Amino acid sequence: MSLNRPLVATGLSRSFSGRTVVDRANLSLEPGLVTALVGPSGSGKTTLLRMLAGMETPDSGSVQSGDDLLSGPGAFVPIEKRRIGLVFQDFALFPHLSVLGNVMFGLQKLPKPERLTQAETWIERLGLSHRREAYPHQLSGGEQQRTAIARALAPDPVAILLDEPFSGLDPSMRDQVRTAALDAVRAAQIPALLVTHDASEALLHADQIAVIHNGAILQSDAPDTVYREPKNAHVAKALGPLHTVDRDALPDAWQAQIDGGSKKVHYRPEAIRLGDGLELTISSMSLAGAVTELELDLSPTVKIIAVCQPGRPLQVGDSVQVSLNPELVFDFA
Amino acid sequence: MLRSALSPRSIPPVLIIALVGLPVLVAIWAGVTAGGGATWEHILANRLVPYTLTTIIVLAISAIIMLGLAVPAAWLTSLYEFPGRRLFSWALILPLAMPGYVMAYAWADLMGVAGPLQATLRDLTGWSARDYWFPNLFSAPGLAFVLASTLFPYVYITARAAFSMQSLATLEAARSLGTPPLGLFWKVGLPVALPTILGGVSLALMEAAADYGAADFLGVQTLGVGIVRSWTSFGEPNTAARLALVLIFIASAFLLAARVFQGQRGSQQTSNRWLTPRRVPLPRVWGIAATGLCGLILLICFFAPVSRLAWLAVETRASAQDLWPLVRTTILLGLMGTTGAFLAALVFTLSTKRSALLRLGARGVAAAGYAAPGVVLGLGALFILKVTGQALSGTIAIAFLVWIYISRFTSAGVEPLQATLDRLPKSLDDATRSLGSHGLNQFVRVDLPLLTPGAIAAGLILFVEILKELPATLMLRPFGWDTLAVRAHAYATDERLAQATLPSLLIVLAGLAPVILLSWRLGRTERN
Repeated sequence: MSLNRPLVATGLSRSFSGRTVVDRANLSLEPGLVTALVGPSGSGKTTLLRMLAGMETPDSGSVQSGDDLLSGPGAFVPIEKRRIGLVFQDFALFPHLSVLGNVMFGLQKLPKPERLTQAETWIERLGLSHRREAYPHQLSGGEQQRTAIARALAPDPVAILLDEPFSGLDPSMRDQVRTAALDAVRAAQIPALLVTHDASEALLHADQIAVIHNGAILQSDAPDTVYREPKNAHVAKALGPLHTVDRDALPDAWQAQIDGGSKKVHYRPEAIRLGDGLELTISSMSLAGAVTELELDLSPTVKIIAVCQPGRPLQVGDSVQVSLNPELVFDFA
Repeated sequence: MLRSALSPRSIPPVLIIALVGLPVLVAIWAGVTAGGGATWEHILANRLVPYTLTTIIVLAISAIIMLGLAVPAAWLTSLYEFPGRRLFSWALILPLAMPGYVMAYAWADLMGVAGPLQATLRDLTGWSARDYWFPNLFSAPGLAFVLASTLFPYVYITARAAFSMQSLATLEAARSLGTPPLGLFWKVGLPVALPTILGGVSLALMEAAADYGAADFLGVQTLGVGIVRSWTSFGEPNTAARLALVLIFIASAFLLAARVFQGQRGSQQTSNRWLTPRRVPLPRVWGIAATGLCGLILLICFFAPVSRLAWLAVETRASAQDLWPLVRTTILLGLMGTTGAFLAALVFTLSTKRSALLRLGARGVAAAGYAAPGVVLGLGALFILKVTGQALSGTIAIAFLVWIYISRFTSAGVEPLQATLDRLPKSLDDATRSLGSHGLNQFVRVDLPLLTPGAIAAGLILFVEILKELPATLMLRPFGWDTLAVRAHAYATDERLAQATLPSLLIVLAGLAPVILLSWRLGRTERN
């Protein structure tokens, strides 16, 4: 069994031809928890993962697994010696090997009978027993995904890193696959990193969320904390829609509810709820996924965005009453 | 990048880059520094200008013929449904199996005074042989026709891909706007597909420029013929070197043009896809006309010459007895060359995976070897022998010949291997290493099994290319090491065509294997 040690990156930096891609990133991955690394594309997510895995050499900073130094001043453990499990976006299964062959690939050091038992254990744990003889091209996307996870976990790694592992899957089955896959990862009791650009995936499934922007980790906390108490606008934007309005444009009663003193305040659309309160006119409305987004005239020049359940008998030009939930209004001064 | 380029693991690829690149570099160096002997004015006036002009005329005419053969056939089989369309779709590639020299022997016989065409003409009209004019194959246009009829499939393949893929949306848009079929071709299909088609033409012209056997047999004074003559008959190595320089320039220009037209994808016809729009059935009369046209092309470029050779072989009861030593030599040289070129290609493909610098070098020299005609590489080898003071005999000659095969054909082996590698997920390498496997373990457990299909294709293509190779083998083979190609050429130029038929047919038969492989792959992309 692995010793269930945390995987810790301290001050990791990497630049390519003069452009800093990862900038003094600190990240601590705890055993048994899935940490989601969230950020827009180009924010350095993949480079950070590659440095943790040993596919990329950091310019400075260190990576440690418990007390073992993996990357750091004068030390670099190559990827093949690191014992870090990897799951790729394209799964990278060996096309010439069956599910069993793929899962057994990393178990070469064990004696043959043990190799088989251990592989079988993981295949069963990920619900692939009936597909053990199948080859990658015969598997569905979800089955390929689970094979990749079983293959990464079978050699008893010290950590597992998943690079956008669900983005290639059919949306209709993504949720189910995701839950089953991440449960298996958690059961391994090792640090797990889930790189994703999908904020809702992170909010729904991760135990911890780290937000990366321009190569730096801006905040790392429990999902609820990151969503409700973002440290700055970049963090807030990374996790969902965010709108900005002049504090002065808000009615006095609302202004009194909001802490801080900045000229501009940011709010989530859910902060403006239909219900007893201020009466405003709908200037436009649109269906945005599972909710209806309403644009309301706060004054002739200022509009605010609210959301409500779809299916309400509302029309442009109608008046509605709205109230404010100040917890979802942020002042980053 | 630099780090990996300087590690000890980069020694094998660097050595192989040198091995593959040396002959062509020596030939270029000899051409640039040639001095003494025959004077420059003499070379320029009596050799360089006439040989170059002839070559350019032949290439120009054959470009026109290739376009005329390939483009209508590709247009019809891409967009319309007519009787036999499925069959023609792949069978139109078959002429690639015929080396130019074999095509030349067959058509020389078909078109000769005593051949079936002229005999039929005389029977029908009652004329005697002096009463009429008949096209002469032993001329520049004749050579152009022969080369075009074996090489037009290059154009056909690229045109098919262009008509099927790139212009799909525009064609359907034009159709929806009511453009009639001919307008569709001239106003939309052709202009949109033209760059791709010209890429195919450039590639075919590069191959045509490399021809030696057909031109020598037909007595057309192209650069390839001039190089061999200058070395062997006139004793003017400097002239040979200068001519080679011009030929390298022409061939590389065409390769460059092909790469530019095809957007850096090189000569990889196999990567083109034949995904097609819904085909429109042609009305009955037009359908029959289309079948007739495609059938005629196939008859002229494949079935007529092949069946003529077969008929000649049967009629003259050509003896297979002295064939076996030739087959043995051909297979032996083929195996040695294939092994060498294959290993070189394998080292190129695998060791350049992680170093962009090495990849660039490997691609460069492989392309140079590919563009350099066999005559030029043979000449390079002769210069190396001269400089090192070695005699062209025995083991040394064989070693040099195999070296030239490696230099010429490594790129042909790299392509299928690279194509196999490119199809694999990019992260497979990292996945393998993250599971603790690297180095030799990785090679045996992952790279080797995954490369097997590509390796089989590469081996097959290499073997057949080497078996068909004529000029370098002719220049470098030691005494008693005649291959099928060399002997067929010797018989044919000796006017003993009947005896050339069996070796020629064997070469065509062998050549069919990779062509069928190619058409199978193209057909698979069509179905997908």
